[in-house]
Amino acid sequence: MANDRGQSEDYSGPLKRLLLGVILLCLLGLFLLWRIDSPRVERFRAQVVDRVVPSFDWAMAPVTGAVNILRDFQSYQRMYQQNQDLRRELQQMKAWKEAALQLEQENARLLDLNNVQLDPRLTYITGVVMADSGSPFRQSVLINVGSRDGIMDGWAAMDGLGLVGRISGVGRHTARVILLTDTSSRIPVTLQPSGQRALIIGDNSIAPLVDFIETPDQVRPGDRVLTSGDGGVFPAGLLVGQLAEDPGGRMRVRIAADYERLEFLRVLRSYATEDIDAPGDLISPSSLPDAQPLDPAIAAEASNG
Amino acid sequence: MADTVLPRVWLMRALYLGLSGLLAFVHLLPLDTMPPGWAGPNIFLALTFAWAVRRPDYVPVLLVALVALGTDLLLQRPPGLWAAITVLGLETLRNRAFSLRDLTFAAEWAAVSSTLVVMTLAYRFILTILMVDQAPLGLSLMQLFATLLAYPLVALLSHAVFGVRKRAPGDLDTAAGRA
Repeated sequence: MANDRGQSEDYSGPLKRLLLGVILLCLLGLFLLWRIDSPRVERFRAQVVDRVVPSFDWAMAPVTGAVNILRDFQSYQRMYQQNQDLRRELQQMKAWKEAALQLEQENARLLDLNNVQLDPRLTYITGVVMADSGSPFRQSVLINVGSRDGIMDGWAAMDGLGLVGRISGVGRHTARVILLTDTSSRIPVTLQPSGQRALIIGDNSIAPLVDFIETPDQVRPGDRVLTSGDGGVFPAGLLVGQLAEDPGGRMRVRIAADYERLEFLRVLRSYATEDIDAPGDLISPSSLPDAQPLDPAIAAEASNG
Repeated sequence: MADTVLPRVWLMRALYLGLSGLLAFVHLLPLDTMPPGWAGPNIFLALTFAWAVRRPDYVPVLLVALVALGTDLLLQRPPGLWAAITVLGLETLRNRAFSLRDLTFAAEWAAVSSTLVVMTLAYRFILTILMVDQAPLGLSLMQLFATLLAYPLVALLSHAVFGVRKRAPGDLDTAAGRA
């Protein structure tokens, strides 16, 4: 049994077996730790990613650029067709632009009448998408702004038009955006015009499920889906997309953001809204006069007034 | 066949590390942010197993464990679990490498396939027990089958391009490498 002897010599000495045991113990221990205390391990993961991915960046940008150029080149073959489509769309856009201008003027007038104050803190930071999640099971992207730029967990990320996802995991130079399509994404929304509250549940498809609608009879495909701001997760009123019905009869949302080309993302600064957690107090002057005789002058003034 | 500067074993280990890094890099390229309707093969796993069956000394446990843990962290999987399962699968195949050496490629493919199926099932089972969010079953199965189909190709490439061949009786290069 020469083979067996060679095997025991080479691969299953007691030292090797010990090493294997220690490695397995470490890996499973890390997994259990992650299951028990996920935020801590996720922070560790964010730090690792923060260290590793930017060092790939010098190669990532040109390769991504080259592949995109190739794809664009393929689309030249359909140029005539696209030209026709674009002309037709431009015609429609002109009509819409006219309508939008009129609405903008009307809106400005109405805002002026109402003297509305928009929240000045709702400003944004723009980041560039560096990497995606790299696996077909997870839908997230990495952007090149992080805690250095003041990004915090839970903030909303949008492209120019609609909501893309939320920040989850912040490194010093990078932050991860969990997309709406990820299976762990849950976003509270309002369906307009009916005003129903619902939840958007990502399920790894391009159109996430809309569930927990209060009165399903009152909503129909084509309704606008906006964030509701429930639970203090997001600012209210960010556009998510349009409601649509899938062949199975379930409601889904057609996302307004362009998921095919996520390049620049805006991260909205949104600090937690203040909670009203105490009942109203009696309104009293901040400094009550002490129990001393009233000043005659003030008393006289009061009786005059 | 021993190299003059570095033993061939260490060259091949470095090559393995480089290939794994390249695979992770390709996965991370932000080319397609749409949720895909299909899942590609796990080339890293196929590569590891193809080398483990041919030349177990090119893929030491510690190296594979570190690379697999790194991939877990980078690709947003639950950290550690898939790496641990990969190490277990690697050891299973490593122990069978000697009996597989004299058999045909079909037998090797079958051994790798059964290991992969058991690994995938165990992974999903553990995640289900611990109530971790997981990917749709269809995608997992698709990735499993894609990996199985990609395995012969990866094995062929390893054999032809990287020169990872089964040790023939009377082959002296590893002895030279160890010395």
